[in-house]
Amino acid sequence: MSSMDIEVIKNEIDSAIQNINSALALEAFKVKYLGRKGIIAQLTGLIPTLSLDKRVTYGQQVNNLKNKLLSIIDEKQKKLNIPTLQPNGQTKAIDIDLPGVAQDLGRLHPITQVMDEICTIFVRMGFSVVEGPEIETEYNNFTGLNIPLEHPSRDVFDTFYLKLGVRSQEPGVKASQLPTPNSKLLLRSHTSPVQIRVMKSRKPPLAVVVPGRVYRPDATDASHSFMFHQVEGFMVDKDIKFSDLKGVLEILAKNIFGQDIKMRFRPHFFPFTEPSAEVDISCIICKGKGCSVCGRKGWLEILGSGMIHPNVFKNVGYDPKKYTGFAFGMGVERIAMLKYGIDDIRLFFENDLRFLKQF
Amino acid sequence: MKVTYNWLKDFVDIRISPRELADKLTMAGLEVAASEAKKGDFIFEIEVTSNRPDCLSVVGIAREVAAITGKKLKIATSCKLQATRKNLQPVACGLQPFSIKIEDNNDCPLYIARIIKDVKVGPSPDWLKERLELIGCRSVNSVVDITNYILFSWGEPLHAFDLDKLQSREIIVRRAQKGEKIITIDGEQRILTPDILVIADKEKPIAIAGIMGGEDTEVTENTKNILLEAAVFNSLIIRRERQRLGLQSESAYRFERGIDLGIVNKASFEAAKLIQGVAGGKPVIVKHSGSLSIKRQSIKLELSNVEKLLGVDIGRDKIKRILNNLGLKTKTKSRNDFKFEVPSHRADVSSEIDLIEEIARISGYENIPKSSPAVSPQVGIAQMRDMVSLTKNILVGLGLNEVITYSFVDKELLKAFGIQCASDTIEIANPLNREQRILRPNLIPSLASCISYNLNQKQEYINIFEIAKVFSPSSQQENENLALGIAICGVKSLLLEQGLIKDAAGFLHLKGILEVLFKRLGISDYSFTMDDTRGMAVSINREKIGLINRLGRESLDHLDIKNKDVFVLELSLDRLLAFANLRRQFKGLPKYPGISRDISVVLKEDIAIDAILKAMRDKGLELLKEVEVVDYYKGKQIPSGFRGLTISCLYRSDERTLTEAEVNPVHALVCRVLIDRFRAQIR
Repeated sequence: MSSMDIEVIKNEIDSAIQNINSALALEAFKVKYLGRKGIIAQLTGLIPTLSLDKRVTYGQQVNNLKNKLLSIIDEKQKKLNIPTLQPNGQTKAIDIDLPGVAQDLGRLHPITQVMDEICTIFVRMGFSVVEGPEIETEYNNFTGLNIPLEHPSRDVFDTFYLKLGVRSQEPGVKASQLPTPNSKLLLRSHTSPVQIRVMKSRKPPLAVVVPGRVYRPDATDASHSFMFHQVEGFMVDKDIKFSDLKGVLEILAKNIFGQDIKMRFRPHFFPFTEPSAEVDISCIICKGKGCSVCGRKGWLEILGSGMIHPNVFKNVGYDPKKYTGFAFGMGVERIAMLKYGIDDIRLFFENDLRFLKQF
Repeated sequence: MKVTYNWLKDFVDIRISPRELADKLTMAGLEVAASEAKKGDFIFEIEVTSNRPDCLSVVGIAREVAAITGKKLKIATSCKLQATRKNLQPVACGLQPFSIKIEDNNDCPLYIARIIKDVKVGPSPDWLKERLELIGCRSVNSVVDITNYILFSWGEPLHAFDLDKLQSREIIVRRAQKGEKIITIDGEQRILTPDILVIADKEKPIAIAGIMGGEDTEVTENTKNILLEAAVFNSLIIRRERQRLGLQSESAYRFERGIDLGIVNKASFEAAKLIQGVAGGKPVIVKHSGSLSIKRQSIKLELSNVEKLLGVDIGRDKIKRILNNLGLKTKTKSRNDFKFEVPSHRADVSSEIDLIEEIARISGYENIPKSSPAVSPQVGIAQMRDMVSLTKNILVGLGLNEVITYSFVDKELLKAFGIQCASDTIEIANPLNREQRILRPNLIPSLASCISYNLNQKQEYINIFEIAKVFSPSSQQENENLALGIAICGVKSLLLEQGLIKDAAGFLHLKGILEVLFKRLGISDYSFTMDDTRGMAVSINREKIGLINRLGRESLDHLDIKNKDVFVLELSLDRLLAFANLRRQFKGLPKYPGISRDISVVLKEDIAIDAILKAMRDKGLELLKEVEVVDYYKGKQIPSGFRGLTISCLYRSDERTLTEAEVNPVHALVCRVLIDRFRAQIR
């Protein structure tokens, strides 16, 4: 082995390094020269065979070659953007293909996520969030909301009643003030009773959203559940118009379902609003062409709304000549099902971790 | 409500395609839920809202079509039929005289009976059969078909009796006697009660008012003379009857929602005319009981209120035209307001707001612009919801998954968790089934069920929480309180570089979760203490707010959980959040380095770690900044009843860099207290 050989190897290295374009090739190159049985090792192995006077220069040459190799490999590594996994010259490689180590993050239930998303949109618009109890009086759930005594929604088929008397301390309403048929307690069948609670305790202007659980005795199937969630919203002031309702709900729908959806307001009937409207969005699956999700109509109903009925204002002691307002309410499960493409409402309450962890 | 395109055309001139018509109806509040082309016609299925019973008929929908499209209705108002002249006496027609007796006008405000003689009942003509079949109504015979046809056309339910099968010439509208029976035309025997209204002859009920006729007096191919009933029954009575008997019919559906008094005689007349034409009968007598006259209401509309509420100027002329087209007559007009008279079929229109709705509906919601309301900023009260949200996020950050479980539970499940249902729970008066009868007083049974469900899905590690209301009867306060429940079960596997680490769920996990939660919520005075045999009590400021527990055998067996331990926690979130304090005050970072000393000791295992650390802290004075347990061991080298602990002490001064010479004597004192007071052996 002579200095000539070392020169040859140097040239070989210079040309070989040019052609290396991958981490894998670089690794092979490294093994070829710097490995345990690599060329540098072979050259070093020759040192004892040399005469003493030659050993020094030869040793220096090999060392220089090794340094050169280390520096061009390092340079190449940077060029190829390969992370250096072996600081301090450690030779043990890390199995970077093992799964990463981290504490798993839990998930908020998809209903919570959607409910928060809806509330946040309204909070950004200046609404405040108010919650109410799940056990309600007949007055707050029906009478105050202009739902007549004989209305079918008061049926035992549509509302859960409790084996409990009226609370003695009803916030805002004294039990003695309640008209006689209102002594029954029930599980609220919608979040609207919170309208009555808020309006009885505060004066306009009001801009409020109400998220919460509600209950109706519906037999459970893929699209019905006896317990579900609603978000209710309402706004009351001196000059609130139907056009405001349209404007506010468009902001909601576009924020949840995307800027390019279309919306339509259809006349409908609710006892507590007039004029009332059901709100449809263009089907997010077929973009309005008609598919099985939207029943070939191209539209999906997402919420009910309207201008608060003057009788509701009278019931809470507001002057209907002075104030107007709008109200709306939507089923959170329905919105979540549309948003995520979930086809069975029961999945929300089964709480299968494989379901929950998708959100 | 089903109608067809051609049927509508009988009553109104339609110049638009069925598809366009369906769209227009939908956008005017009569949602066309489905439509179908069939046999050269077009069937619409329309969802009629409960306030519009007038639209439960072809004529009713035709009125809407006329108003929407601005076309005229094609309805003759005349009710005069030659043969119905009142001077035709029964006897002269060869019939016995008859009378109508209504026991309570409140139950039945109007009853019109027409007698038609010499009919030849047979199959219906094709046009009639086809129309009925298109809307899903089965053809019976010509007379029955005509009563149905008129019901669908005019919205007034009719019933035809075989006059000769009646046991008397008196029609009585009365409440049934208890236990009275009738076989209805569907062949079922019905046992009646006094809250059911019946049509009866002298002997017995011949029809359940407003719902279904009796089999005995049914019109068949052999019928010669018929009595045609057109009446109005109290809608509440009909609803109760329907619920009690579990019997729904097209008639009941309409009576329940309310019948237009103004249409009853017209419908009866139209039916008689058709029977005459189709079955060759001769209308001979008409009698009625109750009042035919109708009071019409007038409503004032202030024009400025329309724009004020809708946010769009519709225009005086257009407003007037819309309401007139809907059949509201202009009674008076001035510069600022109108007065309109409401037709009898629009019982839903009774105040100004109803007029504004009609204007908005017909002029089209799509023509109302969008605007942004001016929202006055409101200072929100420090909101419970924000705190709950923060709590949820902390728990999720700790790896827990949020679940939402039903608020209703089964008595048996509660029993398996040692909860007695008699006094501490609220029961639902009308539950869907036995399993969903109790409002849960506690989240644990629901969470444990959820664990069981996930174990069945072969999940290895289940860590869940729920924040929801729990319910218990209370006279002093609310019947519902917000609770936090956590349940964990199974083994978490963590693959590290040095290999697989298995971490089995236990008490300390729940304790750790709470410690993090408390710290983040600014709660420092908390403690965990053994609570009898039941588990670990969680207290804040010495107030017990919850319990950590391991599920007992009975609970596990009930849920069919085998060979697994389930650890659960429930606490009152209302109470917890009452102690929360999110205010923070910055403390300067240490300026000088500290010196750390570890000490390993063996102690009797009943000596509480909290007590040891406190004693050390007291001895270390202001130099000892942190004391914590960094290792723990039991096993071969340690005698039983003892445990080994390694405690790390950090000494630091805020004024200078400490030297070994300063720390050593203090640390010696700190160690001394372990030996002297707790009989620790230093290792």
